[in-house]
Amino acid sequence: MEARQIRHRLARFALGHRALVLVALALITAFFAVGLQRIDVRTIFSDLFPRAHPFVQTFREHPNFGNPLTLTVEIKRKDGKDIYQRDTLRKIWDISREIDLAPGVDHDQILSIATEKARFTVVTADGIYSTPIMDDHPPETAAELEQIRRRVSDSPAARQFLVSNDGSAALVNATFIEHLVDYGELFAFVQTLVSAQQDELHEIHVAGWPMLTGWVYHFGGDTVKIFAVTLGLMFLMLALHMRNVAGIVTPAVVSIVSAIWGFGLVGWLGQPVEPLLMVVPLLLIARCFSHCVQATERYYELLHQSGDKHQAAEYSLVSLVWPGTLGILTDAVGLLLVALAPIPALERFALFTGLWALNLIVTSVLLTPILLSLLPQPNNLDHLLARGDDGGWLPRVMNRVLLRCGHLATRRARFTALVFAALAVLAVVEMSKVQVGNPVEGSNLLRYDSRFNTAVRDINAHFPGLMTLEVVFEGKQGRIVRQSDTLNTMQSLQHCLESGPTPPTATLSFADYAPEANRVFNGGNPKWAPLDNDDAAAAAAAGALMVGTSAKAYLHVTDFEQTNGTVSLWYPNNKQATVDAALVQARRCIDEVGPEHETFRIRLGTGAIALQQSINDTVDLYQWYILGALNLVILVGCSLAYRSIAAGLILLFPVNLANVFLTAAMSLGGLGLDVNSLPILAIGIGVGIDYGIYLLTRIWEEYQACDRDLRAAINMALTTCGKAIFFTASLMTLGIAPWYFLSELKFLSDMGLMLVAVMLINMVLALLLVPLLVFLFRPRFLEKDVSALSESVEGTPSGDSQRISMASL
Amino acid sequence: MHIRKFDFNFSRRAFLDKTARGILGAGVLTPLWPLIAQAADITKAYPDELLSIEGYTKGKIKTGDLLTADNVDLVKELLDPIAFKQVKEMGRQIRIVASTRDVTRMYPAEYLEATLRNKGQARFDAGGNVVTADGKPWIGGNPFPDAKTAEEAFANLALSWGRHNNSTYAVRDWEIGPDGEQSYQYDFVWVEENTSGRVGAGGPYLEGMEDKLRLQSVFFTSPADVKGTSYLNTWHYDQRRFPDLVGYLPAFKRVRKFPTNQRFEPLVAGMALYLSDAWAAGDPMLTWGNYRVVGRGPFLGAVSQNWYGDNENWERPVHGGPKNQTFFETQMELCPEVLIVEAEPVGYSRAPVSKKRVWIDVRNMMYVGYITYDRRGDIWKSFEPQYSLYEKGDLKVMDGKHTAWSWTGVHCHDIQSNRMTRFVQAKKVQGGYTSGYNREGLIDKYLNNQAIQRLGT
Repeated sequence: MEARQIRHRLARFALGHRALVLVALALITAFFAVGLQRIDVRTIFSDLFPRAHPFVQTFREHPNFGNPLTLTVEIKRKDGKDIYQRDTLRKIWDISREIDLAPGVDHDQILSIATEKARFTVVTADGIYSTPIMDDHPPETAAELEQIRRRVSDSPAARQFLVSNDGSAALVNATFIEHLVDYGELFAFVQTLVSAQQDELHEIHVAGWPMLTGWVYHFGGDTVKIFAVTLGLMFLMLALHMRNVAGIVTPAVVSIVSAIWGFGLVGWLGQPVEPLLMVVPLLLIARCFSHCVQATERYYELLHQSGDKHQAAEYSLVSLVWPGTLGILTDAVGLLLVALAPIPALERFALFTGLWALNLIVTSVLLTPILLSLLPQPNNLDHLLARGDDGGWLPRVMNRVLLRCGHLATRRARFTALVFAALAVLAVVEMSKVQVGNPVEGSNLLRYDSRFNTAVRDINAHFPGLMTLEVVFEGKQGRIVRQSDTLNTMQSLQHCLESGPTPPTATLSFADYAPEANRVFNGGNPKWAPLDNDDAAAAAAAGALMVGTSAKAYLHVTDFEQTNGTVSLWYPNNKQATVDAALVQARRCIDEVGPEHETFRIRLGTGAIALQQSINDTVDLYQWYILGALNLVILVGCSLAYRSIAAGLILLFPVNLANVFLTAAMSLGGLGLDVNSLPILAIGIGVGIDYGIYLLTRIWEEYQACDRDLRAAINMALTTCGKAIFFTASLMTLGIAPWYFLSELKFLSDMGLMLVAVMLINMVLALLLVPLLVFLFRPRFLEKDVSALSESVEGTPSGDSQRISMASL
Repeated sequence: MHIRKFDFNFSRRAFLDKTARGILGAGVLTPLWPLIAQAADITKAYPDELLSIEGYTKGKIKTGDLLTADNVDLVKELLDPIAFKQVKEMGRQIRIVASTRDVTRMYPAEYLEATLRNKGQARFDAGGNVVTADGKPWIGGNPFPDAKTAEEAFANLALSWGRHNNSTYAVRDWEIGPDGEQSYQYDFVWVEENTSGRVGAGGPYLEGMEDKLRLQSVFFTSPADVKGTSYLNTWHYDQRRFPDLVGYLPAFKRVRKFPTNQRFEPLVAGMALYLSDAWAAGDPMLTWGNYRVVGRGPFLGAVSQNWYGDNENWERPVHGGPKNQTFFETQMELCPEVLIVEAEPVGYSRAPVSKKRVWIDVRNMMYVGYITYDRRGDIWKSFEPQYSLYEKGDLKVMDGKHTAWSWTGVHCHDIQSNRMTRFVQAKKVQGGYTSGYNREGLIDKYLNNQAIQRLGT
C-alpha cells in the first residue's frame, strides 16, 4: 500500500470515527493524568556528573574526600572587631548546635570552634589533656573569651580553617548524607537559622553545594510565573491573530493534552526530573503550540476552498501526517540524542523530553483536525488568509520582508553568499574563543550579586576557599595512612604544589596531623614533631590521632578504614583559568612524586574543582558527538525522504551554521559552554530543521508549479510557508524573551536569551540561507516528481484535484 | 493447667490500663515478684498470649520458626524499629525460642539471691543516688526489682552492669560498613569490677573504695597497630559525677586524659559504639534526666539460648546484609512484659543524642533493646544485647559455684550511616585473655594506671 493511501485511510478513519478516537485519547489522557501525581522533581547530586569520567569515578569511589555535600556557614563581624566577643561566640555556638538539627546532616561531621571535634591539646605532668576549644558553654567572661582566643591560636587546624586570618570571621561546616537530605527542606531550615542569627553586627553567609541546590529549588517557584507569562503571551498573540474560537481553543486543548501525556509518562516511569530543567517542558508546550497553529492555518486554507469543516479537517490531516511526523521526529531525535552525554540527569532529560516530543505525533497531528472539525466554523477566513497587500499592516510588512529575503537569495545571491561567508568566518573565529566551563567565581546558575555568590566570594576572601581539588592516595594494601611512605609522599606532593608557580591557598592531608600528634604525645616539645621514617612511627601517630575519636572526624583526609587518603588543595575560586592551572600543577607534581607506589597509587582527583572539570570535559567532547549524530540522523532521514543527498546537505548546512552563530553569540555575551548548553543545542537543531523541511519542500513544489522558474518558486514559498515560519518563530520568541526578566536564576535568564537567539538565528537562516543554497546549487532533485512528497489530495468531492503542500505549513 | 479465660486483647488492655493509671508493678494476672520470690516461676503472672509466640500470633509463628522478611510484620510491635528494619529490609533472620519461665536462668545466682534478700531496702537520697535505709551505698542485687518508676528501673541497670562482682570479657569485634564489608576487626578485653553493691561473700563494698561504684578498663590486644591501647574508667558512686577517664598509648608510653564528659565518641577508629552506650547505662545515671516510662508490653528479646559454647571460641554464625555477614545468628523469645523507658542527656550540652529509649525486661530488670535518637528526633542507633545462661548440653561455664549468666553478643547499628558494630563475648582473644567472672586480683592486673601502662609493654 502506498504511503499516500495510508494517509488517506488514516485521515478517513480518524475523522469518520471521531467519537471513538476522542474516547481513546481521553482514556489515554486519564491514564497519564494519574501519573502526574507521581512526578518527582528533585536533584540527585551524583547524577549531575558524567559517570565514566575518571574524576567522577574517583569521586564515586571516594565520596568523602572534598565532599561537595558540605554546607559552609560564615559568621562575620561587621563592626571591625574580631570574633572573640561574647555575642559572636554565642552565635557560633548556637549555629553549631542548630545545624545539627538540619535534615540529613551527618551528626559526626559538624565542625566549628564550638564543636568538640575542634580541640587543643595540653601536655601536663600527669599526661596529655585533649579538650574542646570551647568548654561546655559559650564563653561569658573576659577571661573565658581570652582563653578561647589563646586556644584557637594553639590549634593550627582551627587557626587556618575555622577562623579567618584577621579574626573577623569564623566558619561552621556541616556535611550531609545524600540519601537523607531534602534540599528544599534544608534550604528553609538554613534561611530560618540565618534570619535568627543575623543582626546589625553580624553577617551570616552560607555557601556549599547543598545551599546552591536549595537556591535553585527556591527560585524554582519562578517556573510557575514563567509558565504563566509565556503561555499567556503566546495565547494573547494567538488570540490577536486568530480571533475565532477554533483557532484559540484547539491549540490550547492540544497543548494541555500533550503536557499531560509528557508529564504523566515521567510520573509513571518514576524518573526524577531535575528542577533546573523544568522550563524545557515549556518549550515543548510551545513547540506543540507551534505545530498546532500551523495545522490550524492549513485547515483554514482548506476550509476556505471547500467550505466543508469535516472535509477540510480530513484533508488537513492528510496533508499533515507526513510533514508533521517528519518534523516532530527530527525534534524528538535531537532531544533523545542528548542522552549520548553519559550524565544521568541529562539521560533522564533526554528520555523525558524526547518521549514528550514523540507524543506530539498523536496529540498534535491527530487531535488537531478532529477538534477543528467539532468547533464552530470561523467567520474571518478572508482576513486570516489574506496575502500580499490584501491584509492589514502586519501581513503587509511580513510580506515585504519575506520578498526582500527572496530578493537577497536570488537576485543578490552572490552578495548574500559573500556576506554569509564573511559572517561564518567571523563566527567561527569568535566561536573558538568560547570558554568551556565556569567563567565566574561561585555559580553561573545564579546572578553575580546573589546571596550565594556573595557568600562564596566572601568566604574565599577570608578563608583558604570553598573549592578543593583532591589528590587521592588509593590504597593497594593495608591502612596506608599508617605507613611511612604514604605520609612522606603526601608531604612531598604538598611541598611541590606549594612551591609551584600557581600554588593553592592551602593544602591539607593526614600527613599534616601526624607530626602534631607525634609532638604532643612525646611530651610537647616541637623537636618531636617530625616522624621517624618508618611505619611504626607513622602507625603510632595515626593511632594517637584516632584514639577516642570517631574515624569520621578525619573523613576529609582519610576514609573510615584508613585504607585511602587524600591531599586537599584549596584554590581562591573556581574560574576556569584557576581550574586549568590547578590541574596542570597537580599533574606535574604527581609525576614528580610518582603515581605508583608499592602500597598505594595516586589518582587525580575529586573535589568540587575536579567535578566541575569532569562536566566541562564531557560537554566539550560530547557536544561534537551529539552534533555528529544529529547530522548523521538528519542527513540519512532527509536524504531518504527527499530521495536526494543534496537535499539532506542543504538542510544540514543552515542548522550547523546556526549552531556556530549561537556559540559565537554566547562567546560575545560572556557565557560559558557548559552542561546547560547541551539541551539548547539539541533544541536549536530541532527547530532549525523543521523550518528547513517546510521551506525546502515548498520551494520544490512551487518550482514544478511555476514551470521551473526558481526565482518565482522561492518567492512563492517564502510568502506562504515563510510566513508561517515567521509567525511561529515570532510567537515562540516573544513567549520566551520575558524569561530574561522573570527569574532570579541567571541560568533561566541565560537560557531564555539563548533560546531567543536560537529561534531568531534559525528563522533567519531558514528564510535566507535555504533559498540561497537552492538558488546557487539548483540541486537535481528539484527536477524529480514531487508528488511522492507533496501533499496533493486527489479526488475531492468536486472532482478537482487539490494540491496541498506540506510546505505551506 | 492454664485456663484460657482471657481473650486475645486482654493483655493489651491491661498494659494500657496500667500505664494510664501509673501502676508500674510487673505482672498482668497477678503481681510478678511474689511469684519469683516463691518459686521463680512466672507462669501465673501472665496469660498464654504473653508466654508463647504461638499464643501471641494465634499460631502464625511458632517456637522454632525463623523471623524473616515474610513474617516479621506479624510481630512488628515486638521489635525495636531498627531490628524490624534489619529483618524486613536487610536479610536478617531471628530464631524464635520458648519464653523463659524460670527466672533463675536470667540472673547470676548470687545476684538473684542478693536481689531477693535486699528487696525493699533501697531508696533515693536527696541527691538522687540509691542508698540503703541507713543512707549507705547500695548493698547488692537489683535495688528495685519491682521498679515502679523509670528512675528505679534505670537504677537497676546503672548500679551493676554485668551483675557479677567482677567480669572479664574477652571480646571479638567486627565493624561492618554500609557495603557489607568488614572495615575493622578488633580483639579487646573489657574488665569491670564493682566496688560497691557487691554480692556474695566479702561484703557489699571493697574496702577503701566505698565512694566509688566501679572500676572498668578496656584494652586492645589485636590488631598490632592498636595492641596495648587501653582506657581506664573510674566511676564515682555519686551518679552526678562524671567518671575519670584516662587512656594509654603504648607507642608513646603516655597516659592521655580525656574530657570527662566526652562520652559520645568511640574508643577506637571504626566503632559505632560510644562509651555512653555501654549497657544502655554507659553514663552516670544522674547525668541524664527526664526519665519517664512511655509504655509497657511484650517484646522480643534475645535473653536465652544465645551461648554458642559448642562453637570454637564461642563465636557465632553470621548472615544478612550486602555481603551476608552483617548479623549474628540470634535467638529471641517473647518477653511477656518490658518497661519502655526514655531519658535525655541533660548533663551534656554538646550531646548529639536527644534521648534514648530502653526496653527493660521486668523479669530480671535487664535491658533487652535500646535505641538513641538524634537531636532532630530521628532514630540513630540501636544497641541490641544478647544474653544467655552459659550452658549448652554438657558444656557449662561457671562463675564460682553456679552456672554463669552473662551477655553473649551485641549488635550496635548506626542506621543513619548504616554501620554495624557487632561483637561477641569470646572464650579467648589474642594475647591469651579469657572470659571469666568473679576472679581475684583484677584491680592490680587491669584496673589502675600502672596496670594499663603495663598492658602495653
